[in-house]
Amino acid sequence: MKILSGVVLVIALLAGALWWVADMQPAEPIEIDNPRVRLVPGGAPMAGYFTLTNHTDSPVRLVSAASEAFDHVMIHRTVVSADGNARMAHQDDGVLVGAGETVEFKPKGLHLMLMRAQRELEVGEAVEIVLGFEGLEPAERTVVFTVVPVTSS
Amino acid sequence: MKPVRLALTALMLLGLSACADQGWNGKSIEGLMPELEFELTAETGETVTESVFAGRPVAMYFGFTHCPDICPTTLARLVAAVRRLPEPLQEELQLAFVSVDPGRDGPQQLADYTDAFSERMLGLTGTQRQLKALTRRYRTTYGYEDERADGSYNVSHSSAIFVFDAAGEPQLMLLDSLGVAEIAADLEKLLAERAENADNA
Ligand SMILES: [Cu+2]
Repeated sequence: MKILSGVVLVIALLAGALWWVADMQPAEPIEIDNPRVRLVPGGAPMAGYFTLTNHTDSPVRLVSAASEAFDHVMIHRTVVSADGNARMAHQDDGVLVGAGETVEFKPKGLHLMLMRAQRELEVGEAVEIVLGFEGLEPAERTVVFTVVPVTSS
Repeated sequence: MKPVRLALTALMLLGLSACADQGWNGKSIEGLMPELEFELTAETGETVTESVFAGRPVAMYFGFTHCPDICPTTLARLVAAVRRLPEPLQEELQLAFVSVDPGRDGPQQLADYTDAFSERMLGLTGTQRQLKALTRRYRTTYGYEDERADGSYNVSHSSAIFVFDAAGEPQLMLLDSLGVAEIAADLEKLLAERAENADNA
């Protein structure tokens, strides 16, 4: 009985400590989940996808993206018109993420357009992409993207 | 009306509208468009016509290899749908990727690209005259946007997959909104009907 209550006490103390540590950690102002680059063979551009959540209480705007692995990176959105024609629209004003909101860069929607890979990439490799924001300090975040197969979503 | 009942009614209506199109998830184009006919350059470098498919059903998509988002997404869905079919049916369907960007998509580029998706996918392209003839035939268009400073440019193109039967008769338009399961169901239905007809013949 004594041992059991001792164990319970230790668990309670540990849980309390964990909770305290979690609470002490500064909340990340923005969160980027599942960053991935979909590998396209033959030197054609590739798409970068991720989920972006703004945990601050004011809007942030993604305005730029750059990577040493690519000659040029653009922010695009695929638009399918009523007649079924697809085109890509350059996001001249970047992408606004409201306070507490999440924006998804995903197939057939928003994507990073990664032009001219500077070296041959392989599935499973990590690629750093620097995202530039307005309304965020510091303005730049380096995000590690994973290279995924062309057939993945 | 209660929300539940409203939802049920909406579901029933959806079901009805699906049935109205002979149970396809895609759009039936049977009898609405002319049979498959073209002259194009294959990824092998050879000039080919529709006879390159040797009397097999074909799923055809118009795109370009410098299209990183919707083209790979659609082709990957198509290939995933084919993998869900019973083995013998998988073998039957020919996949075709027609590039409407011959300026950048030469035979080697096309071969590398289509091989990444499936060994049963044939890359095709042609002159503007040849591509216009084929796309007009299926009432679709493509176009080029202004070049950027670095010489790159975007191409607009159809987002649907066109499915033809073994005789080259157009059967279905698989719209870009369809998921893997829906595409697989349509392809299985189409290919199974063909197997049945062959048995009866
Ligand atoms: Cu793009």
